[in-house]
Order: sequence, then structure tokens, then C-alpha cells
Amino acid sequence: MKPKITAMAISVALLVLCLSDRLPAAEKAVLLKNGQIITVNSGTVSGGDILIQGTRITKVGKNIPPPAGAEVIDLNGRWVMPGIIDSHSHIALEGDVNEMGDLITAEVDCKDVINPQDINIFYALTGGVTSVHTMHGSANPIGGRGIVLKMRWGKSSAELVFEGAPLTSKWALGENPKQSNDMGMGRARYPKTRMGVEEAIRDEFEKARDYKRKWADYEEKARAAKQSQGKIAPPLPPKKDYRLEGIADILSGKLWVRCHAYQSEEMLSILRLCREYGVKLVCFEHGLEGYRITNELVKYGVAVSTFADFWAYKWEAYNTMPQAAALCANRGVLVALNSDDPERMRHLFNDAAKTVRFGGVTEDEAIKMLTINPAKIMGVDSRVGTVEAGKDADLAVFSRHPLDPFTVCEMTMVDGTVYFDRAKYLEERKKAEEEEKTKKEPEKKNGGEI
Amino acid sequence: MPRRTRYRLFLFSLALIFLSAASLRSEADLHRVWAVKDARIITLSGPPIEKGNLVIRDGLIEAAGANIPIPKDAEVIDGSKLTVYPGLMDALGQSLLKFPEEKLDMARIRAGDFTDKDRGITPGLAAFEYVNLGKAVFEKYHKLGFVAGHVMPDRGVFTGRSAFFCFSDPDRNKALLLKDICLGIGFTPSNFMVYPNSLMGVHSYLKQALSDAVYFDQARSRWLKEPKGQTRPEFNPNLEALADYATARKPVIFLCRNQHDIRRSLGLAAEYKLSYFVADLGGEAFEAIPELKKAGARVLCTVAFKPPGSSLYAQRGRAERERAEKEIYPKNPARLAEAGIPFAFSSLGTDDPKAFVEGIQKAIEAGLDRDKAVEALTKTPAAFFGLDRALGTIEPGKIANAVLVEGELLAKETKVRYAFVDGTRFEIKEAKPGEGEKPTVNVTGKWELAIEGQMGMNLTVEFSQEEAALSGKLISPFGAFDFTGGTVSGKDIAFEISISVAGQDFDLFFSASVEGERMRGSVVQGGAGTAEFTAKRIPG
Repeated sequence: MKPKITAMAISVALLVLCLSDRLPAAEKAVLLKNGQIITVNSGTVSGGDILIQGTRITKVGKNIPPPAGAEVIDLNGRWVMPGIIDSHSHIALEGDVNEMGDLITAEVDCKDVINPQDINIFYALTGGVTSVHTMHGSANPIGGRGIVLKMRWGKSSAELVFEGAPLTSKWALGENPKQSNDMGMGRARYPKTRMGVEEAIRDEFEKARDYKRKWADYEEKARAAKQSQGKIAPPLPPKKDYRLEGIADILSGKLWVRCHAYQSEEMLSILRLCREYGVKLVCFEHGLEGYRITNELVKYGVAVSTFADFWAYKWEAYNTMPQAAALCANRGVLVALNSDDPERMRHLFNDAAKTVRFGGVTEDEAIKMLTINPAKIMGVDSRVGTVEAGKDADLAVFSRHPLDPFTVCEMTMVDGTVYFDRAKYLEERKKAEEEEKTKKEPEKKNGGEI
Repeated sequence: MPRRTRYRLFLFSLALIFLSAASLRSEADLHRVWAVKDARIITLSGPPIEKGNLVIRDGLIEAAGANIPIPKDAEVIDGSKLTVYPGLMDALGQSLLKFPEEKLDMARIRAGDFTDKDRGITPGLAAFEYVNLGKAVFEKYHKLGFVAGHVMPDRGVFTGRSAFFCFSDPDRNKALLLKDICLGIGFTPSNFMVYPNSLMGVHSYLKQALSDAVYFDQARSRWLKEPKGQTRPEFNPNLEALADYATARKPVIFLCRNQHDIRRSLGLAAEYKLSYFVADLGGEAFEAIPELKKAGARVLCTVAFKPPGSSLYAQRGRAERERAEKEIYPKNPARLAEAGIPFAFSSLGTDDPKAFVEGIQKAIEAGLDRDKAVEALTKTPAAFFGLDRALGTIEPGKIANAVLVEGELLAKETKVRYAFVDGTRFEIKEAKPGEGEKPTVNVTGKWELAIEGQMGMNLTVEFSQEEAALSGKLISPFGAFDFTGGTVSGKDIAFEISISVAGQDFDLFFSASVEGERMRGSVVQGGAGTAEFTAKRIPG
């Protein structure tokens, strides 16, 4: 087992080192030929081609002639789909994903702790994942800001960030923020009930409104002082409060709210609160009981980012079933299937298949739950989530239909660049293993001679 | 306690206090004029002087040059086989700091009653108050060419304030060059359920605290200037302690565990317009050269050369990590030099001075120019911390910190013969016959020590010896004191204990020669006085 892991590690290293050589020149053209293209927005094109120029898809169709100098990759009838988008993840973050020290931590920001060397970025690529929404944990009613990343393995923290994607605010309801399961050390923190969780959020909204008022007052006084030409002393500005500024960004709609919740009652309750304050609540995370309140979710335009068949891991996560995602989707709720876990992230396509098997959704609908639906939830649907001209060339190539239980992701592209190629990877791993062997053997010989 | 013992205890503490006063007339005061004759002098302020004299008077360099006359009142050292270098300096360390041990009150922790210290927020913590200087410590540094060092607490988020000392006098008031120079900023969250307890929380906390400190400073000075018609701002000792650093009147030192911390630091420094140094604890500055260069950052370079846990090398198993440890990380200083990034060497991560020098030698083997290494231990640290007019080169008027060596400094075979620190000469003892030898005795067990003379009294010591390393516990009427870092070579033992008597701290340096079940030796208190002692093993 061990040498295998070492060899794999070495080949990952090689991959990293080789990346720089593989990057295509700025406007280099790549033609993917003869694939089964799952476009998501306009059906499946059999024996179709995808032309990529620079970082974007410029043409999807049949018999596209390769432009001069284009690299041609023959898909030999393999399946291509838009790169998988994981709307709920915690990868590529350094340190703890929860700031547990305070109840409300709207000031903390995942952007500050992006770890571009997290090996899970590479593993994501091996499962066809090209974008993730990585976020703060669920310990706080209002936690930190989350961020959307592209899996540009080998690039710096700043280069991983999905340009233009809206920033998010992570909220959490239920057992985690009220610390129901915290049996260990730690103070008895407010709140201890679901009522308290909601009240904690409302309190913070009021504080942020006060804070904004103070600044408005100050600005008015400062203007008056300026106009008085020295007769009125300029006022002292209020103290800057990053936490309340974060809350103010929620109230102004600059931050899109992603709210961890399981139970239908608390989802309804928080919906009312968000309506009252005009908060842009885009998605319930997990939302296991969402299927019970589909009308309300549709009315308010709130999506659900959930699991295919993962539940009953704690009391509040009991009341769901493998049909839940399908039930929501059938009633018009925007549904995404997420990983919440670097391991599950590598086979999200299997999870989508489960929704077909148990919930009876169409294959196309299931694929949407991995692509355009999460893209819409993350506000990046104009850039990714379908295979069409004008969109980013983020693609995943599979050996069989992505929902086939025996399918394997063979190649993953981000921005028209191949970041993962299984065949090449295996070749390199084999080479590295052999090199390792030849490196070790002479040492042994020398040892024997001496 | 029997009356007799109590009387002895009284005498002992009197004796200690008397002896510490006696340090005022130590050797340092008797010979204040020295001349090193016919030596090769590396001044670092100009070209090397192939054969010249160095005159030291009253703690300062009086003259250095080819045809400098030898003053009549000088004690002369023949330098014909020696090279004079400016004394080396550790640009940032923490091993000289000794904090009182505190037992964690778990009831308090469980009740959620946390202090700023639990949170790692100690901007007022001053290295000056906790420095542990002493003869034994000095000996360890002097023999490797080190004569001064910059120390700073390194735990937590706002770790504390630094101080720069000459390794000349156990009295910190005399040894001090500058205090409260820098404030340490670390990225290590507390382990408790208290804010901030995550890296992202630490980052946000830092932003808020820096912003608050600037605000506090402005509001307070505004009120002091015109109290009429203005409510005074609430006082906050932490913000007051931060104010100088948050407003860039003084520099901070970012304690960076890896390349990501380095980038984080550069971001914070730019956003809050801080004067700063990057302490490269992870040894990964080479990964951030373009960013460091663009920011014009100054780096304090460590030499442990261990890939941090966040690095890909560490995530990829032992073989990869060891390769990186051997082949990649030791090149860090050379790569900084090549990129023209100013750096000085820090002992953080290699707390023992010997390991520190070995690390620097490794950096030289990995391609760092030796002269550049010397510079990073002399001129550069002096300039970094505002001491370049006082230290760092051999120039008339500067503090007489110099080392006299046989061979080239930092080379493996080189021997340091003398160290001048603050104009005081410290002769580096020739390796005694027996020193460095394998131990021929094992002193593990309990011993009864009888100190002779005026402060005569009996003490018990429990030794624990592992090969040449000696640690143990001194049991005295004043309490029990643990020690580590002692040595055994041949049949000689040496160890240092810091004890606290009547609210005062004393360093006791014991050295003895063992004969069977008995030993005989001496105990030195700081630079102050010596008493003889004998000891015998308590059977059983």
C-alpha cells in the first residue's frame, strides 16, 4: 500500500511541476472532437465537437473544422458534460472552518485563508469538479463569508478565486449554532434554543442598522462642519466595526445568504425574518425537510443545496428520504446536489444518479443538479454550468454516461486548460514508480559491496 | 521549619543579595582598556584590514586600523593569528525568555471565563521583564561568536514586545540596548472556545484590533489636545499598548508559519500601513519572492529548514518531506540573497545556539555566500532595529562588540578565542581535557549538596542523566526548582538553575567533578560570586 501512496504522491508532484508547461497560450484553440456532449441547456449532441478558443467555448456542434494551429483532442465517443459545480464545500481553507469563539462572526472571511496547496483541489478535479463554493462552518447563527473558487490547481490563492462571483454569508440554524451536541469543553453560550438562534440574528440586524445610522449622522455633521469653514469643529467619526459592516452588507444584499438548516419550521421562520429585512436568502444548505415547504421556497425563490441520500446523522436530520431532492425539483425548487466533504466531492455524479434511481427525475434534471442549478445558486450561471458558446471552457470528460455507475472521469478542463488527464496521470505515476525503484536498487547494491 | 534552618535560610538570602551587589566590581570594571595587536580585522564598514590594531576603551571601540598606536594603559592581546569580526547578533529569538509556569485553572476555563492571555492577546507583555541572562547562557553564545540578541515572546496573536540585549552582563538593565522595539503578531489561534479560535478569526481579529488601536490613538490625542466640548474616549490598556505599532511609529514582526502567512502579512501591512518585518518561521519566503520584493519587505530568516504542514511536500509523505528538508528549504536564505531581499538570521525554531549556527552553515552549503551570512548576523540586524549607529561594524565610537577567531567565521573548523561584549573581554575556554568526551560517570539519583563558606547550607539535588544530557531538580528550603540543559562530559558535570528567593531571581551555575559517589565543585551566582561545594550520593 505504502509505495503506492508514495508513487501517487510523486506523480501528483510531477503534475504540479508539469502544469506550467501545459498551459496553452492565451488564445490557443482546442477542438474536442466526436464526443457525446451533454449540453444541459439544449440536450445531448451525439458525435459532437466543442471548439475552445482561449478560455471560452466558442462553438458547439457537429463537424466543426479545426482552425489552423488548433490542438485536436479526439474524444472517441466519450461523454462530455459541463464541469461539476459543488455549491457546498469546505476545501482549500487553511485552519479551522468554524470561528466558534463568538456567536456572530460576520467579519471573518474564507478569502483570507485560501490554501491553494490543499491536495483536495486536485482530488476534486479527478471527479470532474471545476468550481466550488467553499464556506465557513455551521457553528454560528451568522458565520463568516464564503467564496467561489475555480479548481485551478497549481495557481495562487488569488488566482483560484472565481472572478465576479458574488460573496456569500454563511448562516446556520438548529443544533449546531445552539451547540446541542457540544458535550465537551466550552462555555454555555447563548443561544440554547431555535428561538434564540433567530433572535440572535435579529439583534444583529438591529445593531447593524444603528451602526449605519451613526455613520450617516457623522457624515451629515462632517458636511456641516466643512461648510461652516472652521466655526464648527469636525466631529469624531464612529469606530469602524468590521462585524457590523458584514451584517450591513447582508442587509444591503451585497452578500448572498446561504443558510444551513434541516427543519421545515425553522426554515419558514427564517424566511419570514429575511422577508422582513429584505435579505437576499438564496439557498438553504442541506434543507433536508425542504420537500415539505416547496410552495414557500418557490414563492421566495430560495434554492436547496442538499445530499442525495445522506441523513439521520443527528436528530434534526431524521425526517427526509432519498426522494427529497426529486420532490423539491418536481415542485419547481432550484436544487443542487453538494458534497460538504472532499471525498464525496469526487463522485457527485453517482449522487446525481441516485436521484434518478430513487426520485425518478430525468437524467437531464439530475445533471442540472450538478451544473447549472448550483451555478445559479452561486450567481455564476452566465459563466458556467452549460456547454454552450460564450461560456467558460470548464468541462469534464467521462468514460461512460456520467450517471452510469461504472463511469470514470477521464479528463477535467478549467478555462480551456487540461488540469487533469487520467491517462497521462497514470503514465506519470508508473514512470515515477519505476524511477523510485531504479533509484533504490543501486543504493542496495552499493550497500552490499561496502 | 527548625529554628536553625530558618537562620541558615536567612543567612543564605542575605549572602545572595550581598553577592549580587558585589557584581558592581566585577572583572569588567577592572580592565576597561584593551588592544588587539596585529590582527586581521573585518570591519564591514570598509575593506578588511590585513594587519591592524583594535583599541577598546570603556566599552567602546576607540580605534581600529593599520597603524593605530597601542595605548600605554591597554592590556594587549596578540592578534597575529586571529581575525576580528563584529560580534554576531541573533535578529530574533525567544529562548532567553523565561516565563513563570502557570497552572491552568480548569474550572475557570469550563466556566468560559477567559482572559486576554488565554486568547493570545498580550501586546503589553515585555521581553525585558522576562529575559533570563546569566553567565552560563553567555558562555553558550560567546563560544559561537554571538554577543547580542533580539528577543520577543512568540506565543499567541499579539505575542508581546521585543528587547535587544548585549550578552555582557547578567543584570538586564546593563545588558539592554533597546526595549519595546517591535510587537509580535502571530497567526496561531487559542485552543479555547474564545474569539478568535480559528485562523480566519485571527485574521479578522487583527484587522479590527489594528483599526481600533489607530482610532483609540486618534481619539485620545484629540481629547488631550482639546478636552473642552469632547467626551473622553474610554481607556483600554491593550489598545494603548498597540497604538505605537498600529500607527507605524514602531514596527511589528509577523510570525509567519508558512508562505500563506507571509502573503497574509503583506496584505495586512499594506492595508494598515504598518512598519513591519516578516519572520519566516516556515522557511518558505522563497515561495513568495515576487510579493516580498514588490512590498519591499524585510525578512527575519530562520534556519530550521522543516517544511510546514501546509506545504505540498509535507502532505506527500515522508520521502518527499525529507527531500524538501534536505534539498529545497536550506536554499531559502540563498534565494532571498539572490533576489536582493534584505534579511537577517533569526534563531526561532533553532533555540539552541549551536543548532542555530549549524543551520546557518547548512544555508552556506546550500549556496549562500559566507560574507552575506556574516552580514545577516551583524550589519543587517543592527540596521533593521535602529542600532546601526551603535553596532554591527568595527568602527570607532561604536559599542565594542567583537569576536576574535582562528579561521574564518561560521566555518566549521573555526574557533572563537575571545568575545568582547560591551568592551568586556570574555575568554573562550580551551576545550578542557575531558570536555566533549563521552560521560564516564552517571549521576542519576539523589545527591546531598553541602555549600561551604558564608552561605553554607545543605541542598538536595535529584539528577537525571541521559548520556551527556543532564536535567533534574534542586530541592531547597525555598522550594523545588527544575533544571534542564546541563551537561556531563568525562567525569565533569555542569548545570544551571534559576531560583527565586524572597521575590528575587538568581541564576546559579554549578560545575563539579565526580569521583565515585562524591563530587566537588563550585557554584557561581551570576557574575557575582563563587562558593565551593561538595556533594555525596544519597544511597537508595
